[in-house]
Amino acid sequence: MIERLLEQARRRGAGADALWRRAERTSVAFEWGRLKTAGVTEEAGVNLRVVSAGRVGVAGSTAVDVPPDELVTRALAAAELGETLALALPPPTPFLQVPTHFDRAATASLDTLIGIGRQLAEGLAREGCQVNVTVEREVAETRVANTAGADAAYPSTGIAVSAELWRVSGDDVLALGDSLEGADLPGPAELARLVQSITGRLDLALTVVTPPDGALPVVFTPAGLSAVLLPVTQALSGKAVLQGISPLAGRLGDQVFDATFSVTDDPLAAGRSASRPVDDECVPSRTTPLVQRGVVERFIYDLETAARAGAASTGNGQRGIFSKPVVGYTNMVIGERGKGNGERDETLGGGLLRDIADGLLVDELIGVGQGNVSGGGFSHPVALAYRIERGQITGRVKDAAIAGNSYDLLKRIGGFGNDRRWYGSRSTPSLLLEGVSVARR
Amino acid sequence: MKDRLTDALAASRADFTEIRLERTWTSSVSFRGRRLESVTASEDQGGFVRVLNRGCGWGVAAFTTLDQLRPMVGRADELSRALRLERPIRLADVAPQQADVLLDLDGDVRGVPLAEKKRLLEAYNAEMLAVDARVVDTLASYHDEVTEYWYVNSEGTLLHELRPEVTLSGSAVARRDGVIEKGLESVGLRRGWASVQDQAAGFRAAAERAVALLDAPRVKGGTYPVVLDPELAGVFIHEAFGHLSEADFIFENPQAREMMTLGRRFGKPVLNAGDNGAAAGLRGTLPFDDEGTPTQDTVLIREGVLVGRLHSRETAAAMGERPTGNARATSFRHPPIVRMTNTYIGNGRGSFADLIKDIKLGVYACSAFGGQTLLENFSFTAAYGHMIRDGQVAELVKDVVIAGNLSQTLDRIDHIAGDFRWNQMGGGCGKGGQFPLAVTEGAPHVRIEQALVGGDVSPTPAA
Repeated sequence: MIERLLEQARRRGAGADALWRRAERTSVAFEWGRLKTAGVTEEAGVNLRVVSAGRVGVAGSTAVDVPPDELVTRALAAAELGETLALALPPPTPFLQVPTHFDRAATASLDTLIGIGRQLAEGLAREGCQVNVTVEREVAETRVANTAGADAAYPSTGIAVSAELWRVSGDDVLALGDSLEGADLPGPAELARLVQSITGRLDLALTVVTPPDGALPVVFTPAGLSAVLLPVTQALSGKAVLQGISPLAGRLGDQVFDATFSVTDDPLAAGRSASRPVDDECVPSRTTPLVQRGVVERFIYDLETAARAGAASTGNGQRGIFSKPVVGYTNMVIGERGKGNGERDETLGGGLLRDIADGLLVDELIGVGQGNVSGGGFSHPVALAYRIERGQITGRVKDAAIAGNSYDLLKRIGGFGNDRRWYGSRSTPSLLLEGVSVARR
Repeated sequence: MKDRLTDALAASRADFTEIRLERTWTSSVSFRGRRLESVTASEDQGGFVRVLNRGCGWGVAAFTTLDQLRPMVGRADELSRALRLERPIRLADVAPQQADVLLDLDGDVRGVPLAEKKRLLEAYNAEMLAVDARVVDTLASYHDEVTEYWYVNSEGTLLHELRPEVTLSGSAVARRDGVIEKGLESVGLRRGWASVQDQAAGFRAAAERAVALLDAPRVKGGTYPVVLDPELAGVFIHEAFGHLSEADFIFENPQAREMMTLGRRFGKPVLNAGDNGAAAGLRGTLPFDDEGTPTQDTVLIREGVLVGRLHSRETAAAMGERPTGNARATSFRHPPIVRMTNTYIGNGRGSFADLIKDIKLGVYACSAFGGQTLLENFSFTAAYGHMIRDGQVAELVKDVVIAGNLSQTLDRIDHIAGDFRWNQMGGGCGKGGQFPLAVTEGAPHVRIEQALVGGDVSPTPAA
């Protein structure tokens, strides 16, 4: 399919690149503790981009029988209206091998997936609580090629397991969840850890205590960090820089964050579902340090943003079937250089609570991403947070809100927990930040 | 197509089988700043099969290769039979429906050249950029689609529909030194090309708002009487109460059922709320849901008391209630789940001026950047607000975030004006990985006697 598309485009005087992907997903769902649904999804599609007379056009289709000629015609028609762009399609380049396909995951039977779900549903069963579990396995093939001769194909597998536990007591609704994402099947130890992560937080949440008040030390768990990291990851995107909305634009080489803070985009991380040998625009994957020792080193780019910024693509092109490629992170690793290298500590906060006399541990906030993120300011009610008193969690707080500015808070990091983990496609330990404003309501 | 569907149904071994087929033509254009960001036209097609066997679970299959229809019915059947249930899944009865519904395409977007769509949006984008030199960035988007839709099930329902949809949105970013502000306006309609003409005023308003907010002070955090404009009141009822009314959350959860017992008081007698999937001319309106159940007006709160909830056939059967036509899927890639359609707060009495006349110091919160609910707790970010001083609307303020506890806040709604309107916005609702679903919200101005307003984020400039 791809060869014929590229050949057609070439014959009509255009440069082109294309992505073809076929995926089959199998999923099982336990609703409120009962195994209720099993499903399969089969999807295939192609996305074609042409560069004709310096203008770019995109066309996509899920119809397997779409004639290549028609798709090329549609892309060329879009290019006639398209913006001018000096898009440089990458030539063939050797790429690093990264394991993306795991046989065990690819061949796991429906019963195996059900077994994983059952282990979680049973492990989480509690009086007065309800449990939802989903297990999904994807087996996919991706091929990406261009008229400059680059051509890559790789198979991949992905497993996503998520569990949530609900406890409704009067008008108090408590929802606790966790998930596992990876390219291979999770082992029994990983599943047991997931159960422990949920039940551990549940046990501590049964006591409700009064929230503290004031500018306080706050421990953000790997899940709770989203609101703090969002402005920074947005600002490190070459797209935000081009748009003039990145506060980090023009700050390359500057010490903007605490010297212990680093951010890396890593498409070569082993066993992760976002890992890949090559991006969706034929650019070989490489590990890209974005912030090192608190200094802004680089922004992420795809081919288009790189062309516009006069930079090189960092291999962060991502594309779906229907729209043009966009710039996006693969696996994001939040570093902890020089700190927190103690022994692994699976307790909530990863050992950061010890020296806190009065503070908060934040695991989930409400409304992350709403409003004006770019300046770094955030203000959110807590969805799940615990009070820390004299180095211990004393209970869950409700009716509290936290506020701060990411850029201020990340200038002085109080500590990194010894609990690094993957949360979705982000790897981070817990972080202690000082002087976060906490309000009761 | 009809024959292929009925053949596939006839070949199914399952006790209950339903099939949805969709073919969607889409085009979209977007401008960012002065630059064309993208222009695309695409076609998507696929099918969804769901089967149920006695004593077994749901088997589902979604696929993009339509000639695989019959084998996919077989796979769904195998998956269903692989799941044995002690308590069977039952479906509430719905009379078989046959209908061929061609909604008014209102100027079929498929007949309009892409170049013309680009020209229209370029002009709207230029309106934003022309407002002020401090408008440093804009994002203008146009999106249209027409879906040809087929639904059949083994009980004799056969539906064929042609559904249009068109959305426009304009967002403007204004900047002065380190201060960055945003204005946003959008419109989403189940209509066509004719409806997106003459929309320049909305785009200008977005840019003017972003510029005006540059000089607006942050609202001082605290507890105030708060008046929600119809747009924010609509978002509030959708997020804060609508999601709780979706019966899939409560039907197998005894504690949640207790919390949502019909007859429970949730507000003062001024409060009425509901969900109307059959309301004429709205984006969330369709004749049938994705299980072939006719849509209807479902009252959720009458005079402050809980009287109804939103159902699929499965949740209705489990709770001994009637299906309400709220089983919806965003596309053939997903199963139908319980969703809202057009959710509203019913009209009250009097004018906006009556609502604020006895407020000495309060906040008038307008429009929404977003909102999230975690069941009993919610947080909404208003796009902007005004202080209310001595019964009058006073200065513009920004960073108006309203947070609270659902039942307390509903109970504190003490006045509802008689100026109801539907807000046909773009975007959509997300749930269970399905986004965006076309919904509409409607409300009059609503007064909450006391609510917590946040927004006092430390004013240090970035980086």
